[in-house]
Amino acid sequence: MDPFSSAAIARQTWELENNIVTTTAANDNSAASDAIFYYDGAAQDAFQQEKPWANDPHYFKRVKVSALALLKMVVHARSGGNIEVMGLMQGKTDGDTIIVMDAFALPVEGTETRVNAQADAYEYMVDYSQTNRQAGRLENVVGWYHSHPGYGCWLSGIDVSTQMLNQQYQEPFLAVVIDPTRTVSAGKVEIGAFRTYPDGYKPPDEPVSEYQTIPLNKIEDFGVHCKQYYALDITYFKSSLDCELLDLLWNKYWVNTLSSSPLLGNGDYVAGQISDLAEKLEHAENQLSHSRFGPLIAPAQKKKEVRKTITFASFIT
Amino acid sequence: MASSSSSGLTFKLHPLVILNISDHYTRIKAQSQPPPTSSAVNDAVSSPPPPRVFGCVIGVQRGRTVEIFNSFELLYDSSTHTLDRAFLENKQELYKKVFPHFYVLGWYSTGGDAQESDMHIHKALMDINESPIYVLLNPSINHAQKDLPITIYESELHVIDGIPQLIFVQSSYIIETVEAERISVDHVAHLKPSDGGSAATQLAAHLTGIHSAIKMLNSRIRVLHHYLLAMQKGDLPCQNSLLRQVSSLLRRLPAIESEKFQDDFLMEYNDTLLITYLAMFTNCSSTMNEMVDKFNTAYDRHSRRGGRSAFI
Repeated sequence: MDPFSSAAIARQTWELENNIVTTTAANDNSAASDAIFYYDGAAQDAFQQEKPWANDPHYFKRVKVSALALLKMVVHARSGGNIEVMGLMQGKTDGDTIIVMDAFALPVEGTETRVNAQADAYEYMVDYSQTNRQAGRLENVVGWYHSHPGYGCWLSGIDVSTQMLNQQYQEPFLAVVIDPTRTVSAGKVEIGAFRTYPDGYKPPDEPVSEYQTIPLNKIEDFGVHCKQYYALDITYFKSSLDCELLDLLWNKYWVNTLSSSPLLGNGDYVAGQISDLAEKLEHAENQLSHSRFGPLIAPAQKKKEVRKTITFASFIT
Repeated sequence: MASSSSSGLTFKLHPLVILNISDHYTRIKAQSQPPPTSSAVNDAVSSPPPPRVFGCVIGVQRGRTVEIFNSFELLYDSSTHTLDRAFLENKQELYKKVFPHFYVLGWYSTGGDAQESDMHIHKALMDINESPIYVLLNPSINHAQKDLPITIYESELHVIDGIPQLIFVQSSYIIETVEAERISVDHVAHLKPSDGGSAATQLAAHLTGIHSAIKMLNSRIRVLHHYLLAMQKGDLPCQNSLLRQVSSLLRRLPAIESEKFQDDFLMEYNDTLLITYLAMFTNCSSTMNEMVDKFNTAYDRHSRRGGRSAFI
């Protein structure tokens, strides 16, 4: 788009107001900003030896995900439909930031009861990493991702124990959860990055981050473990060439934007959410009738929940 | 070397492939040229031209439609012009496990134009797929061009100077996407706030997207209109094929007026309104609830001063 179109000006104003820092400068200094793609093996090894995370459980605070990794993860998660899928992420670390450069899928079907990838998945992992290294991707595996289709981005009990194990033996390691159903129905990417606290560590009280609705049948699992891990901030980056291509892609894309209809794609998901909300309201009502002072505390939670689902429902319509 | 293809196949390209190729290229370029120090002046002319990268594209072919879903890297030795077959087979196996439906459709490379040496690779891949496609991405950033710098070539047997030779012919393609892909591409392209912010900013971002799409539609229609007017006035030669397409498009418009369509449309419209109504209702009742609580707090404290002070 030409630099003086109203769309471009609007975007720039918006970017300014929201302090968006793109790693690619708009001017011609693209080589310096593409530096993030350069893998410095020696520096990475030195960092591994140091292990600064061993002393501070809250060491890693941010995650930078590349455009390619995000696209691959979301497409893979969506292709699983209602089945949980998982995969690994490759990347490197940079101070207190974990950088995810690429992701690949694993040929395992995840169910809630499966703790770890099986033996053939390990073989796949090794094979794939080897071929990648030959092809020029030198980064190591730096985390794993899996999908929670329809029930939000958080770590379940199994996930927490898996991640704790990973953090003992494969540091630095990151857990990422993607919800493809909510992504498609809300029109924005639902993704969360987490690291667990080691056993026995009491985290400082942090303010509750963005509240998300969780279906009743999962809410117990969520509540029991929600204090054992913390969420990291996610930002995205792309190369200068990516920027160009994505801009040009938009010229062909606008048709799809207009023709996409979140309602058609997710009719049953929306209906499911509404019935879940109805159940929760009934629950709240029962609690109300059981106690006298309870009503003041319990409905406060329910109201927040209700409000969140409302905004969500009105948003998709 | 490139003329337009006559095979009649339609090509659909997914954005994931484009990002894959771009990432591969950026990676190799970054490895071969370590990042300059902040004090050095970046002089693009002095650095050697970045190396070409090669890879394989995989996807599905259904009838006459070829859909390219994914891609992976290949090892190619440009000095001996050999493709590493073992590597290719290994990678193929790995990808088959995760994506059992996809198979090798062709290969890709970066560069300005298709070259003679590319034909060697093309022929080498012919034993996997008898008619491979060649996707070429031009990584030089040209701010003036409006089109994607990607071309798809097919190979055709042409008789030149009495010798049947394989040459590359260009084919057109369309960008195909699934909803999830579109959202993430949108997300990264415009770097929307990832933490969600408030519902208002999300809604604003969503509406901006739709707004720009509609503007695009508007401008395209205007261009068409302008073109037709010029043809009518006689400024431009009449192109019957184009006129036929336009008239078929216009003839489709009244379909929206039919009764069946109106029924379906209104039913959906009513459903959405119902949900919004329900949402509003719940919101109202919860606000009312809150108001009642506040009222109780305020007024009870007045009357029962000695009684329970910690009401909440």
